[in-house]
Order: sequence, then C-alpha cells, then structure tokens
Amino acid sequence: MNIVWTITLIASLIVMLVIDPANAFSEMLNGSEQAINLSIKLWAVYALWLGILQIIEDTKLDEVFKKLLNPIISILFKDVDEYTKNQIAINITSNLLGMGNACTPSGINAIGGMYKGGNSITGNMSMLIVFNTANIQLIPTTIIGIRILHGSANSSSIIFPTILTSIASVTLGIFLSKICAKIFLKEKKHE
Amino acid sequence: MSDFFLPMIIIALILYSLYKKKNAYSSFAIGAKKSFDLILTTFPYIVTILVVVAVYNASGLNIYVSQALSPILNFLGVPPELTELIILKNFTGGGSIAILENIFQTHGVDTYIGKCASVIMASSEAVFYVTAVYFSKTKIEKFKYLIPLALFLNFFSAIFACFICRFI
Repeated sequence: MNIVWTITLIASLIVMLVIDPANAFSEMLNGSEQAINLSIKLWAVYALWLGILQIIEDTKLDEVFKKLLNPIISILFKDVDEYTKNQIAINITSNLLGMGNACTPSGINAIGGMYKGGNSITGNMSMLIVFNTANIQLIPTTIIGIRILHGSANSSSIIFPTILTSIASVTLGIFLSKICAKIFLKEKKHE
Repeated sequence: MSDFFLPMIIIALILYSLYKKKNAYSSFAIGAKKSFDLILTTFPYIVTILVVVAVYNASGLNIYVSQALSPILNFLGVPPELTELIILKNFTGGGSIAILENIFQTHGVDTYIGKCASVIMASSEAVFYVTAVYFSKTKIEKFKYLIPLALFLNFFSAIFACFICRFI
C-alpha cells in the first residue's frame, strides 16, 4: 500500500512540476474536496445501511444468513468466531445483492473480528478481500442503471457474462489465496 | 424488477422485527449512530487515495501508464480503449464511472467495447480503496501478497470479460 501510494504520488508530482506546476497543489486539493463529497454521500449510505443492519442483528436474522452461507463460510474461513461469521455472512449477502458501498460496514467489522493484534494479514482476511475483489453479485444494478442512462437497447445483456466473470475470478482467487497463505504466512510461524 | 426488490426486503424486515417483538425504531437509531464512528475511521483513507488519484490523472501519468500497458493487454485480447478503465478501477470505483461513461459516449453502449467495459466494471473492485478502508480499524501494515493477488484477479477478470463478451 505504502509503496504504491508513495511512488504514484511522487511520480505524479514530478510530472506536474514539469508540465503544470501552478496546478499541482490545487489538483491535490481538488482530490481532497472529492473525498469530502464522497464521504458525505457514503455517510448517508452508511447511516441508512447500519440502521437496517442493526434491525437485522437485533432480530437475529444475521444468524439465518449465517446458517444459509455456513457451508461456504466454514470451508473458506478457518477458526472465526460467531460474530465474525455473521459479519462475513452479511458482507457476502450484500455483495450478492449488488449493494455496493453497503458492503463496507460489515466488511470492516468482519476484518475487525479476525484481527487479533499484530501488523500482518491472516489467511482469513485475504480470503475476504478476494471475495470482495471479485465483486460477486447476482444483478449488477449500478452498471445496468448507467447503461440505461446511456440509451442501451439491451441493458441486462451483461448480467450473464458478469456472473461468469465473477465466478471465474472468485474461484481463481480462493485457490490462489489459499496457496499464497500457505507459502507467505506459514513462514511467520517458524520465526 | 430490482426497483421492487429493496423496498420489499425492508418491509419484510420491519414486519419480521414486529413479529419478533423488537423495537425497529430504536434498533435503526442505534445502527445509524454507528455511522459517525465508521465515517471517521474511513475518511482519512478516502482522502489519502483520492488525493493521489487526482494528481495522477491531472499529471497525465494515467495516459503514459495506459500506453505502456496497452500492448500487453492487447496481446491478451483486451482492446486498448479499455486500458485506462482497467487501471483506474483498481483505485476508485466512483472515479472510474466517469471513464465508463466516456467509453459509452465514444464507442457506444451495446458495442463490443461497451459491453466489455460494463462487465469489467461490474466484476472487479477498487482493490486499493477496499483494502485501505476494510483494514482501517486495525494496525495492519504488512499486506504481503494481498495487493498483487487482488490486482492480478482484477486483470484476470478484465481478460476473461473481454473473452466472454465475444459470444454475446
């Protein structure tokens, strides 16, 4: 994270110094402003979804999601407590329903539940990120919406290829995540 | 169809809450209160990423990087028009929507390129953003293989999407 961020920022700033030094700082400020605007939108999304999620948790519906998804969760995630399992179940469910940013609160909680101190990732965390990277969803509502706005004659033609691509990506991801965890995370225990 | 979906789920949820004799009103309020904490934790990471994306795009570095990667992706069956989208999608989902709309305007929505772009957008995730935000409540700094793996998966799904779109 740190390396990519540093290299991209320094390289971009050096290029800006050559082509357009006057706007270098104002562009950064522009990015910061976009972050504020996005955060306000996200705040609204979070407030609404966390409210709904709290109703789900208080009615113990998350236990139902967990039971439905338990076969998958217990194969993919090793030794996670019940709270974390519930959060993973909510995260996967909201991914499947194409809720976009609504996945974030449960994702943060799930990672928090897996975190037992230290400064290195675990195999479970990597699995959750892989699951979110493939963005597996039954109906890609946001993109279909944008397609309709741009006058698509067949806006939902992308549903099937999207599902296929997500499944391919998540399958490969699960496989590679397991392998990488074995190679890169085992070493730590020998130290 | 999907217009009915969410409202119906919410109605069902409230009814279920009544059936369970829970106070949906105060549950919602308690949940909504947690959004303060969440936005305070995620905001620093959102700024950190968007500031870099802004100078990266303004400097024109995005075009150089796209040009450098285009031949490789082209070799794997990805049209060069999509390179910029594929790269930016790793950083920000919101920012790449602007590029998607640009592609729709220049190349059309229902063309091969338009379909590929849609599938790529819908089947990948902003890796840098998600990783930064998801880990924001932990002290984790060593991501080891995670970022390269997730980036690889995004590139893989882009290649796969361009392949599968040949058949629709």
